[in-house]
Amino acid sequence: MATFARFLVYLFIAVCVIVIAVILGAYGSWYFAWLVGTVMMVLIAAAGAALLDTQEAEERRGGGH
Amino acid sequence: METYLLLKVLWWVLLGVLLMGLAIMVGMDMGVGTILRYVGRNDAERRVALNIVGPHWDGNQVWFILGGGAIFAAWPLIYATAFSGFYVVMLLLLWTMIVRPLGFEYRSKLPSPQWRSAWDWTLFVSGFVPMLVFGAAIGNLLQGVPFHFDWNLTSRYTGSFIELLNPFAILCGALSVAMSVWMGATMVMNRAEGAIRERAGRIGSWSGIAGLLLFTLGGFWVSRMQGYHLVQGPDPGLAQTPLRQVVERASGDWLANFRAHAILWLVPAATYAGLLAGLAALRKGASHLAWWLGALAWVGVIGTVGAAMFPFMMPSSSEPAHSLTVWNSSSSRYTLAWMLGFTLVFMPLILWYTSWAFWVMRGKVSTQRIESDEHAY
Amino acid sequence: MIDNTVVELSRWQFAATALYHFLFVPLTLGLSFLLAAMETVYVTTGRDIYRRMAHFWGKLFLINFALGVATGLTMEFQFGTNWSFYSSFVGDTFGAPLAIEGLMAFFMESTFVGLMVFGWERLTRAQHLIVTYLVALGSNLSAVWILVANGFMQDPQGAHFNPLTMRMELTSFADLIFNSDAQSKFVHTSIAGYVTAAMFVGGISAFYMLRGRHMELARRSFRMAALFGVLATAGVITLGDALGFVGGQAQPTKLAAMEALWKTEPAPMPFNVVAAPSQSARRNLWEIQVPAALSLLVTHTLDGTVPAVDELEQRAAERIRNGIPAVAALKRLAQDPADAQAMAQFRAHEKDLGYGFLVQRYAPGQDASKATPDAIERAARDTIPQVAPIFWSFRIMVGLGLLMLGYFILAVIYTLRNQVEHKRGFLRVALWSIPVPFIACEMGWLVAEIGRQPWTVYQILPTWMSASTHSVAYLAFSLTGFVVLYSIFIAIEMYLMVKAIRDGPDPDGPVDTVPPAEAAAGPGMAGAAMPFASRWEG
Repeated sequence: MATFARFLVYLFIAVCVIVIAVILGAYGSWYFAWLVGTVMMVLIAAAGAALLDTQEAEERRGGGH
Repeated sequence: METYLLLKVLWWVLLGVLLMGLAIMVGMDMGVGTILRYVGRNDAERRVALNIVGPHWDGNQVWFILGGGAIFAAWPLIYATAFSGFYVVMLLLLWTMIVRPLGFEYRSKLPSPQWRSAWDWTLFVSGFVPMLVFGAAIGNLLQGVPFHFDWNLTSRYTGSFIELLNPFAILCGALSVAMSVWMGATMVMNRAEGAIRERAGRIGSWSGIAGLLLFTLGGFWVSRMQGYHLVQGPDPGLAQTPLRQVVERASGDWLANFRAHAILWLVPAATYAGLLAGLAALRKGASHLAWWLGALAWVGVIGTVGAAMFPFMMPSSSEPAHSLTVWNSSSSRYTLAWMLGFTLVFMPLILWYTSWAFWVMRGKVSTQRIESDEHAY
Repeated sequence: MIDNTVVELSRWQFAATALYHFLFVPLTLGLSFLLAAMETVYVTTGRDIYRRMAHFWGKLFLINFALGVATGLTMEFQFGTNWSFYSSFVGDTFGAPLAIEGLMAFFMESTFVGLMVFGWERLTRAQHLIVTYLVALGSNLSAVWILVANGFMQDPQGAHFNPLTMRMELTSFADLIFNSDAQSKFVHTSIAGYVTAAMFVGGISAFYMLRGRHMELARRSFRMAALFGVLATAGVITLGDALGFVGGQAQPTKLAAMEALWKTEPAPMPFNVVAAPSQSARRNLWEIQVPAALSLLVTHTLDGTVPAVDELEQRAAERIRNGIPAVAALKRLAQDPADAQAMAQFRAHEKDLGYGFLVQRYAPGQDASKATPDAIERAARDTIPQVAPIFWSFRIMVGLGLLMLGYFILAVIYTLRNQVEHKRGFLRVALWSIPVPFIACEMGWLVAEIGRQPWTVYQILPTWMSASTHSVAYLAFSLTGFVVLYSIFIAIEMYLMVKAIRDGPDPDGPVDTVPPAEAAAGPGMAGAAMPFASRWEG
């Protein structure tokens, strides 16, 4: 039951997101571009940091052996 | 036509709700600022008082901003006329309000006692003065403000700023300060312990008594002052300007609505009930209950002003025929409808997440917690 | 009518307080998302260094945020206090986005910022992350609504003047919010905020790397800022071009001023790289040109032309002549709303009503119907904004934008190769470039708002009519008050900001030498399970 409730909540959120995306895509293409662009920038910045962690870990392993 | 009439009345009610939200929530934070130096005798105690409203003052302040925005959008003529007419007093309100965020955010960033003491004074000023001005502004609306319009609705204020600070306005301002101290004191009691809680209880009781006296005195004053009534004007359901109506004024007119609808007496009664029961609750130490009863009293105070003045919103003392009413100063039907839609969607959402924020931050605030948290105010 | 000095002082006051407010806004817009990105890494990898990063940059964020909120209050009230005719004239349309901003965005931002600060121990990690995202989303949604309102001033869409209520009334909410000027300006402004934050974080990280302090934090912050910044700068430039395209069509006078075009020439038109525009001589005293480049830049074709000042003044004079009967009819309607003949005359000329208003200023007795040919010519000249400040602000903004693009590309290369801490010269540049995006943002504001003159609402309401009917003394009082208060504020803010930066992240917290792999003892364990656990173990 709890899973089902959660499923419904997520389904509702997903439907909302799709509706907003459709409206924005049709009438507010720049708003839509902002949304997508911001998500991309945040994720790439985050991925860059994670990459740095990996690079450092590798360096340390390389230096240690 | 009828829907437009209904929308105008609904937005009049919503404006009241916003002013109540502003008075209750912002008033609470400002009350804490006003009594800060009294309830907190040393730095640690003052920080407790500040951190009690610390997580919420910013969100609460939006009631004030939203109040301004809603008047702009739904009652543009009132926004334009009142804000420009009250210029110097508005600046006083604004300048004291804008030092408040800095007071919260910067006060505890440096250890120097002089620095902190200076910010404590700014927090006092930025709690006391805005509430005084808020009350005084409403007092001036009740008395009427000297303004008139040109043919193209350019508003002209013909009074001086000093007459905005007349005795009745000061009385309303004092009532507003007393109520805000009540809200602030009960909030401090909710979340503090020991001496701070005790002092807050003491000043809270005094503010409640002061509130009762000032409200009563103000009531008698209003019952004798020159009120306004609309003799003739365009149909309330029509779009209109304040240039074609007939308005008369007579002493005791502000009681006309109460005489016509006796049930309205329940509104001022709510203030008495709230404050009297609140005082009793405070005596028993039930500060949460006292807070809610204080909110009820605020609803009563603002509701009373609204009930007395309806349909007037900003009467003109120099040119009564140009008085701004619910019928002649609202936005267009289309704008009111859209704004109502947004309000219906977002207001419940705001109430929900605001309560969630209060729930997350529930519990007592102690000095140890504050010292272990680098972000604490 | 309104004293000219009062109008000028009101403009100065609005410009000063808005420019000041806009010193703090861009950093809030961008840093909130950078904080969210840092916290995202923390929540997904569980490495403590990212929590400390979010804490440290969060502290700086709040010092800045407080002043942004404080000075924003001024803006909300200044329309009413100083621009009362404007407020009643457009409140029906312009007020709506401001009120919705409060309802939808500012409440969210402000409520959750309290939880973001105080909720670290009381929320689960996922909850706190969501709160941080909501703060970022809220501050940017605020910008959406503010720029929807501003977009209406630049290119009034979705409203219509109602002569019976004497105001612009909203007719299409969708046209108001999907106004392409509002859209492109929002994205341009918001992303300019990202660039500002990236320069800020990058510059301070560079400062730490130069000193060899907090290297863990500085390296990671620099990496994130560089990637965030390079994408954002590219976005700002793209959107700047789009905004130029959109704005140039909606506001030809602004475009002519931005490019210092005095005489319309056949396509392809040359581009003035630098010039010395003279408003009184109505030409450039000297100029350096690139042939054909203007047509290419502005119209994206070689055969496109851009109307210059001479042509625009002629068009304006025509519209003024057409607008004069509209004002006369409006006056008669104010006397008698049932006057059908006046209504017919108004309808025939209503599209140029604003131009009719414009000429009132020079007409005898402020009566538009008595306007002389000389008055019409002066009013037509007024429709061209001050060219030199717009031309130069625009060039400074664009120049700084291109410089920042170059900077970020280098930054990305260095940081991806893990070399950045050895490039000391570059790090110094990064540190001293912190003010650059702030200047660029202010310049952008100047181009947009000086370029809109002489109108508050483009081609609808002249600025000189919009101000409140105050005395000069009132304005002198308020302007002095703002200058004094705001000077004190900025001094305090800068002092606290510099102090917080010098102190660095949590002075008594864990030191940098802990290898990140060990510090991150098992992702998902620490904070989530024990929301009340003490944060400082070290």
